[in-house]
Amino acid sequence: MALVLDLADGAQRAQAAPAETVVSLTQARLSYPSPEGEVSVLRGIDIQLAAGEITAVTGPSGSGKSSLIAVIGGLEKATGGDVDVLGVDLNQASESVRTNLRRRDIGIVFQSFHLIPAMTAVQNAALPMVLAGETEAETAAARMLDRVGLGHRLTHRPSALSGGEQQRVAIARAFAASPRLVLADEPTGNLDQATGDEVVRVMFDLVRETGASMLLVTHDPALAEKCDRTIAIDSGLVRT
Amino acid sequence: MTATDRAPAQATQRFVLRQLIAAEWAAGIFGLRLFMACVAIATFMMGAVWALGDGLSTMLGRGGATFLGGDVAVTMTNVPLSEETRDAIAGLGVLSEVAELRSSAQFEDGRAAVEVKGVDALYPLYGSVRVGSARDLADVLAEEGAHPGAVVEPSLLARTGAEVGDVFRLGDRTFTIADTLILEPDRLSAGRFMVGPRVLVRLDVLQDSGLIQRGSLAEYRYRVKDEAGAPELLVEAVRALRPDYGWEFETPSDAGDVVLRTVDRTTTFLGMAGIAAFAIGLSGAWAAAKAWVRRRARTIALYRLSGATPGMVLALHAAIMAMASAAGLALGLAASAAVAAPLLEAITAWLNVAWSAADVLTQLLSVAGIFAIGLIGAGLLALSGAARIAPGAAMRSGDAPLRADPRHASIAVGFLTASLAAAALSLPIPGLAGLATLGLGVAVGLLTLAAGALARLVARRRPRSFIGGVVVQSLGDTGNTATRAIAVGIGIFGVTAIVAAQSSLTRALTDEIPDRAPALVLLDVQPAQVAAIEDRIERDPGLSGLQSSPFMRMTLTAVNGVPVEQALIRQDKSWVIEGDRSFAWSAEPTGAELLAGDWWAPDYSGPPLISPEEDLMEAFDLKVGDTMTYSVLGRSFTSEVVNIRKEYHRTMRPEFLMLASPDPFRGAPHTWIMSLQGENDIAVDSLIRDLAADYPNITAIDARRIVAQLRDVISGATFASFLIAALLVVAGALSLAALVASDVDSRRQEALVFSLVGASRREVAIARLTEAAAIGLIAAVIGGLTGGVGGYFAVTAALRIDWQPGLAALILPVALGIAASVAAGIVGGLGAAPRGRGQLIRQLTG
Repeated sequence: MALVLDLADGAQRAQAAPAETVVSLTQARLSYPSPEGEVSVLRGIDIQLAAGEITAVTGPSGSGKSSLIAVIGGLEKATGGDVDVLGVDLNQASESVRTNLRRRDIGIVFQSFHLIPAMTAVQNAALPMVLAGETEAETAAARMLDRVGLGHRLTHRPSALSGGEQQRVAIARAFAASPRLVLADEPTGNLDQATGDEVVRVMFDLVRETGASMLLVTHDPALAEKCDRTIAIDSGLVRT
Repeated sequence: MTATDRAPAQATQRFVLRQLIAAEWAAGIFGLRLFMACVAIATFMMGAVWALGDGLSTMLGRGGATFLGGDVAVTMTNVPLSEETRDAIAGLGVLSEVAELRSSAQFEDGRAAVEVKGVDALYPLYGSVRVGSARDLADVLAEEGAHPGAVVEPSLLARTGAEVGDVFRLGDRTFTIADTLILEPDRLSAGRFMVGPRVLVRLDVLQDSGLIQRGSLAEYRYRVKDEAGAPELLVEAVRALRPDYGWEFETPSDAGDVVLRTVDRTTTFLGMAGIAAFAIGLSGAWAAAKAWVRRRARTIALYRLSGATPGMVLALHAAIMAMASAAGLALGLAASAAVAAPLLEAITAWLNVAWSAADVLTQLLSVAGIFAIGLIGAGLLALSGAARIAPGAAMRSGDAPLRADPRHASIAVGFLTASLAAAALSLPIPGLAGLATLGLGVAVGLLTLAAGALARLVARRRPRSFIGGVVVQSLGDTGNTATRAIAVGIGIFGVTAIVAAQSSLTRALTDEIPDRAPALVLLDVQPAQVAAIEDRIERDPGLSGLQSSPFMRMTLTAVNGVPVEQALIRQDKSWVIEGDRSFAWSAEPTGAELLAGDWWAPDYSGPPLISPEEDLMEAFDLKVGDTMTYSVLGRSFTSEVVNIRKEYHRTMRPEFLMLASPDPFRGAPHTWIMSLQGENDIAVDSLIRDLAADYPNITAIDARRIVAQLRDVISGATFASFLIAALLVVAGALSLAALVASDVDSRRQEALVFSLVGASRREVAIARLTEAAAIGLIAAVIGGLTGGVGGYFAVTAALRIDWQPGLAALILPVALGIAASVAAGIVGGLGAAPRGRGQLIRQLTG
């Protein structure tokens, strides 16, 4: 399947890669400046993700897992190698191309939820659709919240929700715009076992229903085992 | 729990609190630097204003008898009191006499206009004269040498190059410079512009110098000191002696009133700036404190999680804020003392009054007290939310809302109101300051209403766009919208009022500079000398514009038979009945524009007819045909008004409040005044030399130098008021910075989330700019309008000058509103989105 991405400036159009490969990283590197000198967090990563696949990424703290999410999500530009996501060469793509890609085709879930405190659950969940210009954004967001079991909490603000509820709002937001790729960084890290299991169940169900691909960063071996495959990284390299 | 049980628990709590404060202190109070800056700059402005304005008023108000020279004083112009009246006064208390006149001092290398004062042996009755050698004035003047001694101001020595021990001539007498004059306690009693340095000589020697002749422009002052311990009885006894001719009668409270009124007017502008700086400083400090508390929300939650009670959290943060307040106050007060002390030194030296460090210290302490009360209110308002942060907030993501305890909020408002009231009451013009405070209250009320209306308006909207949604979500929060509108609006209110007043003041001051000033004014010209001098001037092609007229003084006593005090209908024109006023006779029309009536015929020789000036018409609602009773040279006249003249002031040319037909004044002893223009300095200097040689009795006032001095003074005043307005803009900008900083962290967090879900940097910036622009617009319109109205009242009612706000007062509110929008938009939008490699990861995982 080929996908045409509408770009904000309307000047560029990018052709999506064949459906079977949604993410392709070749010798991807990322380093940050620091007072002590350049810090290498990704030192040559090679990863291929197929459409509809749920892939777990495991590794110790500081191994580069969150940085990997940031690079694939277009939040950070790799400092070396090739990064191809949904047919877009992110190393060459402009800020607006990467923003549009995130808006329409990528959903992100973080350990610490990252919700807007002043917005209600439904407003938070509707944000990507509002940004995409969808007219019935809040209606769709309400449906998605109902799907994750929060139909009765639509007008509650984050401060009035439990950790598990906040994470379900974040999941609803990530899936609301029907993304083709979901990136989840330790989504159960702040939750108890039962709540975490429920959140994972909801996410997996949604991925299966929508046919999206998911890259799931986790410390939990049991959770990793539920995924289609697992990639272990350590010190910025894929461990074979 | 019993009291015995509670005591150890309380002791433990105090110990814990001390430990926490020590730990926080060790970590530094750097997070409160914006708060300290707001406090410091506002304290600096307030301190300088209070020390200069209020301090000066206190010093001047205290020395009424010293400034007046006695418990009661009467002044006669041109003629001394009759022996009979003088003796009657002398019988009521200790009498001291002085005579003052303008003259020219002849030195070896030239002449200089001087203000001569002849003093008797009892002078001064109050205070003391300070001379360079620190001796007693009486001893200095009593020294017998080749010539009588004179004590002169150092500026005369600087101007002429003479030294102590040199000689100079005044009229027919030669004097030796015996000492320099450092402080003249009753200088302010002169109540007029000094044309040259002061020269003190013995009264009997002055009377013998030939300078004082009947009709000379001399003022004879008689000061009486009470010895019976009842000065009010002395005042009444002297008042009862009032002869049927006019004299100027003054008591210490009159002298204080005149001086205080002058100082109050000049310090009013400072007072307004002080109140505005206070309000802006408080709002900035509040915003900065709120920002600090918000940033510490998680730390506070962790304290609570660790077992700290809400009271302990409040006490800990109050203690930290108190330390920061003390640091800010100390910085501001030190800076204001450093600025105010040299300024006071210069001003008091100019006014010839003494000042004490204790006065300044008292003012600075009162500023510290007032600001401290205000800071308790602002701090409590900011801290109240901190005490209500739940321990669970430490485990939650995002910002927990900081809601102030209504009880705390009420107490805080009480403190804020009390501090504003205290500030208003401690200013020289409490009424005006109270009005300014009221204006501030109105501005805050209107801003709250407008922000509430905006919030309700947008809350009803259901925008479909991302930008619209973010704007509505943000502006729909009534409390937050009102807070921001008030903080920006107060700054705009203060800045608009002060800039408008500063602009009006600058224009009024600039207008004071005479634009058609003569180069030279000649006083004390005897009638017999007029023709020869006119001839000398007309023959010199370098001189032109000669105007000469008789110069006399008169005191108004009645209008249409009603005493002037009762006949006066315009209090702002009361100066026309205060003491003696300018008077002349003229056979021919002077060329002045007539508002009513006609001139008398050139050959008219009947009973005197009079031509009052426009100010007199306004003071008494005069019409042609009315009668006025006035005293000239000790004789009372009642004359009919035949016309009313309009004079254009600020020319430094001779202008007269009242003109009369020639008879009988033509034959009375009086002098003439002449003024002329110079095509070049050489011609004017040459004339001054000729006059000095041929007519030593004539005083030549070099108006070129006076105008230059006036320009310097006005430039200084203009620059000072500009500086104050500029400082206020800085204070406003700081307040704005504090406001922007107050929610920059939450804005950053929001911007990060927006980035995650696919919002572009541009969309976030536009959303924030739109939201800030709406608040900026409300603040600009309401703050600008209320500030403009406040400035108008201050300018017209307090400064009593024309309302000339200038373009700056119109542009500034809009500019500040835009600046607020742009700053908030940049920081909350563009600036909040993470930039640079690794920044976003740090934020996401931080």
